[in-house]
Amino acid sequence: MTAGRLFEASAPVHPDVHLLHTDAGPRVLIADGSRLFGVGQALFDRIDAARRDPDPRVMDALLVDVGLDAPRQIDDLAPDPPPVRALSLAVAQKCNLGCTYCYAQQGDFGGPAKNMPEPTAFAAVDTLFRDAAPGERVNLAFLGGEPMINRPVVRAATEYALTVSERTGVPVTFSITTNGTLLTPEDGEFFEAHGFAVTVSLDGIGARHDLLRPHRDGRGSYRRVMDRVAPLLAMQRRMQVSARVTVTPLNLDLPRTLDEFTAAGFHGVGFSPMLSSPTGQGEMASADLQVMLDQMTECGEEFVRRVLAGQRYPFTNLVTALREIHRGTHRPYPCGAGAGYLGVSADGDLAACHRFVGDEDGAMGDLTGGVDDAKRARWLTDRHVHRQEPCNGCWARYLCGGGCHHEVIRRGRPACDYIRGWLHHCLSVYSRLLAARPDYFTG
Amino acid sequence: MSDDRIDPMNLTAQLHYNAAGNPPSTLPESAISNAYPGLEFDIRNIWRRLLVGIELHESDNYVVSADRGHENLVGRRLLSVGDHDVIGTVVGPIRPGAGSAPLTSAANPDGVMMLEWSNSLADVLADHVGQTVPCLFTVDPAPNPVGKPEELPDPRFQVVELEVRPLFAGSAATGGYLPVIAEELAGPGDLTRGLCSPWQNDYRECACYYWAASRPDYVNVEDTAMGTTTGNHWFAVHREPREYVLDDRFDSRLVSYDDLFQDWQGKLRFIVGGNDAPEHLDAGTEPKGDSR
Ligand code: SF4
Ligand code: SF4
Repeated sequence: MTAGRLFEASAPVHPDVHLLHTDAGPRVLIADGSRLFGVGQALFDRIDAARRDPDPRVMDALLVDVGLDAPRQIDDLAPDPPPVRALSLAVAQKCNLGCTYCYAQQGDFGGPAKNMPEPTAFAAVDTLFRDAAPGERVNLAFLGGEPMINRPVVRAATEYALTVSERTGVPVTFSITTNGTLLTPEDGEFFEAHGFAVTVSLDGIGARHDLLRPHRDGRGSYRRVMDRVAPLLAMQRRMQVSARVTVTPLNLDLPRTLDEFTAAGFHGVGFSPMLSSPTGQGEMASADLQVMLDQMTECGEEFVRRVLAGQRYPFTNLVTALREIHRGTHRPYPCGAGAGYLGVSADGDLAACHRFVGDEDGAMGDLTGGVDDAKRARWLTDRHVHRQEPCNGCWARYLCGGGCHHEVIRRGRPACDYIRGWLHHCLSVYSRLLAARPDYFTG
Repeated sequence: MSDDRIDPMNLTAQLHYNAAGNPPSTLPESAISNAYPGLEFDIRNIWRRLLVGIELHESDNYVVSADRGHENLVGRRLLSVGDHDVIGTVVGPIRPGAGSAPLTSAANPDGVMMLEWSNSLADVLADHVGQTVPCLFTVDPAPNPVGKPEELPDPRFQVVELEVRPLFAGSAATGGYLPVIAEELAGPGDLTRGLCSPWQNDYRECACYYWAASRPDYVNVEDTAMGTTTGNHWFAVHREPREYVLDDRFDSRLVSYDDLFQDWQGKLRFIVGGNDAPEHLDAGTEPKGDSR
């Protein structure tokens, strides 16, 4: 289906029910609980009529009548703030690149450039483990700016976290998001030894990447990144090295990018549209999102071909979506930000996530005074998808969660057609794959 | 797909779908302890093969069979896995108002009982999946319950290292676990083994007050001057003498499985307010068919 037709087919009609025609037959998605059913055409038509009936009781009665009702999974109440189980440390609020669209404004989040001192990183680790019980797992992430500018603190904090993990019996996993320009083979060995999830920001191949992610003096960075990442790609066993592509109007070349990075050996390749940048530069407009959706579905078709042939194709967006659809993931938030996940600034201030570092909107206390649970509770209440417009009328709300908080607060919701179109496509792919390759989901 | 069919596809859809013709009790949220009255499977069976090499009884800490190399464990009792005991001591009053005391008997001199596997082995699974753990067994076959020794080593007990199997199947395509019970733990038919078909089996099987099904147990109850009670087991064929006959499938004083298969409507009585309904008071074994 073309992006234009996907936009149409996925347009919101009824908040609780979405209908799809797939190659494998008619499908009904019940939003609550993200429950997907195959149905006959007659029932499909009845549900479609009920969807358009101005009396909301008609749909309720029909669902009860055919047995598609179920106890509500998500209500209006925000959950209590959960224990913090993941922290990302802005170990360096500075960067050696000058990416035009960077949310961190070239690394310093619009303030003075600084490194996180070791005691601050250690205090963050202590906070992370403080309430974790044996059997739970915590994640420590390093971001920036460019975290490798502060390599000693990345290493020291990792080793300190391992000591605390050993003492408390709480396992810890590590991740890092880097621009790749400063990586060394020794870094690779360190990440491999500790099973890091390494995400490298790469915005396309060659010149396209260079255009978006230049050095501060204007030189390109692509060659340098690929040279420096190569040893890591070769040595990854426990470590997983993935590419993250921020999509702007200037690098709409997804299928080729995916193929190239797959061939290079990345464990996963994920794309996300640039929806809000501090300067407005690089933001995707509606026409750009339509092109992107066409390219995403093209990547998706290649993924299906490969899976049917029994091959691996690391198109992360679709792999993740299929897993969530199969499980029936349903949640009233887009992510764990402000809940079980917080960001830590170089000064030790806590924020809703890595993007809210230095931003009053997402302030959540600091390492000295502790996590501000009152602020987290207010955040969870305010950000609940039932309170978001127009999400409360959108069938995709429990799969989408209402969109990245940071982008929504900064720019609003310019990408809903894209999000719904993509989810519609993923639901179709799921239906096809479940019929053709059930083993992809069940072993 | 025929036009009226509904096919729940993903996991949440399967979990909450009430198939046409099924009662509401088929949904997992209506589970009673280890059983799913409408789904007709007994989840206790998934624990039988949690430890590689042996097969346990689904409701006893007793080894019913073993793979090669572990044959000597058959008939013995498992007392703990790693740090987790799978038995507990039973304490309680012996008569109304009396204080708690160990509940021992000739057949259970240590006064212990196995803990339901779902309680005792869940932590084992969480802590040790894929690992080999020390398991404490009796050295000899033990038809009756046996308690744990005060101290180890003890010549009557033996530690055997066994591996803890994953409960969930792994996915070859995606890696990691799937929300599907591993086939090594429960092959085809294993989850339903021992279940009712026809329904009279389970109805008769769970003969005591434990069962949450909607049927009586101890009826026609009267207090005595001694502070005890008299009354009948609902399954008692005759109401005199007034005594609670402990369930025993071979005891002819109780309605048998065959009785239920052949004539449940003739053998069972209405109970109103805990007592036999009046028209049955004098009935013998064969109450009038038109009275119910
Ligand atoms: S942000 Fe997501 S949930 Fe909200 S309206 Fe847009 S697509 Fe729907
Ligand atoms: S708020 Fe946005 S940037 Fe922050 S964790 Fe959530 S999705 Fe990611």
